[in-house]
Amino acid sequence: MNENLEFVPPHPGDPGVDPASDATSHKDAILRVEDVSKIYSSGDTEVHAVSKATMAVDQGEFVALLGPSGSGKTTLISMIGGLLSPTTGTINLAGTDVAGLNKRDLTKFRAERVGFVFQAANLVPFLTARENLLYVSTLQKRISRKEAHARADQLLEELGLAPRAKNVPEQLSGGERQRVAIGRALMNDPDLILVDEPTAALDTKLGRQVVELLAREIKQRGKTGIMVTHDLRMVQYTDRVFEILDGELTHVEQPSALAH
Amino acid sequence: MMLALNEIRRGRGRFASIIAALSLIVFLVLTLGALADGLFFGATGAVRSTNATAYAFSPDAKGSLLRSSMDPEQVREVQEAPGVATATGVGVLLTAGTAPSGEYDVAIFGVDPDGAGVPTTLTEGRLPAAGEDGTAAIDQELAKQGVAIGDDVSVGSTSAEVVGIVKDSSYQLQPTVWTSLNTWREMRNEVRPEFTGVVDDVNAVAIETESGVTAEQIQGEIGDLTVLSAEATGLAIPGVEQQSSTLNSIIYTALAVAALVVALFFALVVLEKRELFAALKALGTPTRKLGAGVVLQAIIASLIGVVIGALASRGLGAIVPDEVPTLFRTETLITIAIFTLVAGVVGAAFSLRRIARIDPATAIGGSL
Repeated sequence: MNENLEFVPPHPGDPGVDPASDATSHKDAILRVEDVSKIYSSGDTEVHAVSKATMAVDQGEFVALLGPSGSGKTTLISMIGGLLSPTTGTINLAGTDVAGLNKRDLTKFRAERVGFVFQAANLVPFLTARENLLYVSTLQKRISRKEAHARADQLLEELGLAPRAKNVPEQLSGGERQRVAIGRALMNDPDLILVDEPTAALDTKLGRQVVELLAREIKQRGKTGIMVTHDLRMVQYTDRVFEILDGELTHVEQPSALAH
Repeated sequence: MMLALNEIRRGRGRFASIIAALSLIVFLVLTLGALADGLFFGATGAVRSTNATAYAFSPDAKGSLLRSSMDPEQVREVQEAPGVATATGVGVLLTAGTAPSGEYDVAIFGVDPDGAGVPTTLTEGRLPAAGEDGTAAIDQELAKQGVAIGDDVSVGSTSAEVVGIVKDSSYQLQPTVWTSLNTWREMRNEVRPEFTGVVDDVNAVAIETESGVTAEQIQGEIGDLTVLSAEATGLAIPGVEQQSSTLNSIIYTALAVAALVVALFFALVVLEKRELFAALKALGTPTRKLGAGVVLQAIIASLIGVVIGALASRGLGAIVPDEVPTLFRTETLITIAIFTLVAGVVGAAFSLRRIARIDPATAIGGSL
């Protein structure tokens, strides 16, 4: 499916390209993370949750951030999504310097520019599937109320949730909830979709379906997505895989290189 | 607002508990309020519902109409004091009166119809005319118990014909009979024969002050007598101030409990929703919006509590016997409704800091 595939050694364990040098080759990247570090100090010791991470993601790409727990992948994605401020470094999303935004602007940035899919869908339990989608539209001003209603219905239809639109999360299956969460992430037409271990609460089969759907939605809409995962089986749906270990982005490779 | 309202709509069971607690507190507070008002109005009507703005008492009376006794010399002293427009004697007698329909505990008030201390709350008939003896206006409460216009109210062998009805004029929870000073004195002599022959005395002096003149200013002019405003005279009636302050302190304590209950409820709700609030903040919900939602929920719960509590309290008021002095006043209801709302908002406000402290970053990755 991708020409580059040919040039990557198709067996696991072979290190890919260094993300920093890879970043220089993506001149038109929509997301650019440069020398980003997050240092927590507790007493006299400093913990480098992320050190000098550099990466670039192109518009329309769906990439994975792969690493074991404690590797810093959550911290890195939180900084990219405007939930945490980096200690040093810059993050640029489609011309916006994320690290330079104040708290109020970050809230607005997250509402309008980023879509989140959490581990456990984290839907509002007392809102229906449709209302969960509409809720996030009330947090932004770019899409009118009327457009939002049409958009919510269209998304629910596409995600196969139209018959469940009036059900509250309690009445939905785990997979359906995660689909509602995907709809919610797409609702405000964001530049970037951040996905945090979307399969943590699902079995393998359902997990695959959800990630597949996510990849398809992101591709179809020409969106950019980053998925945090520690599950090798899920990376096959992504375009590229960034590996992170002990707070450092080690290399970037094709998913097929990790297939087994 | 979408969140706050839907949460109440779809989580009725949970909100039923806080609404029930608030309803019970409002019920308690309103019932106590009705009792406090009933006691206060029932005790003080005779000095509130007249044209007098102040009363003068003999030096040793401590502001009590019953204990006070004044001679014509002292009455004249009050009448001649600067700032006094009208001042006339008032006689008071607590006794049993007989009417065709039975015997009643009454307070007989002797007043000068042309002077001060005359009821202003006539609802039916007329007041005794100036210089007219042997007639009386009675309080509505006595009319409710079966005394009608045209009946004679007698104390011993002295009687007065009822010519009118006034309202809200009870004295120490007893219905009043308003007659002339002469008739009052004759009735007094029936029960207190030792006074026979004393013709000019009165208990106290009712005063209509000139506009802008206070009771304190008149007190300054007549040093040896006690001068109290009509309001202070009401509070000086034995038990009135003590009852009011006791009941009011219970009412304020109950309202503080309401604030505490709301605070605890929303502290629990916020604690339980930390994860959800973190996710909502991550999605771009401003803290302000989450806080406003909690305050709105507190206002709605308080309002529903006030409505249910008020209905229950009125329901109880409708079935308590007449002897229990309860009075449901709209002013008291409004005051308590406002206090309950404030208690609800203050209670909910304690959760705002907790909401502000929730870190949106915790929405991702579960534990750090």
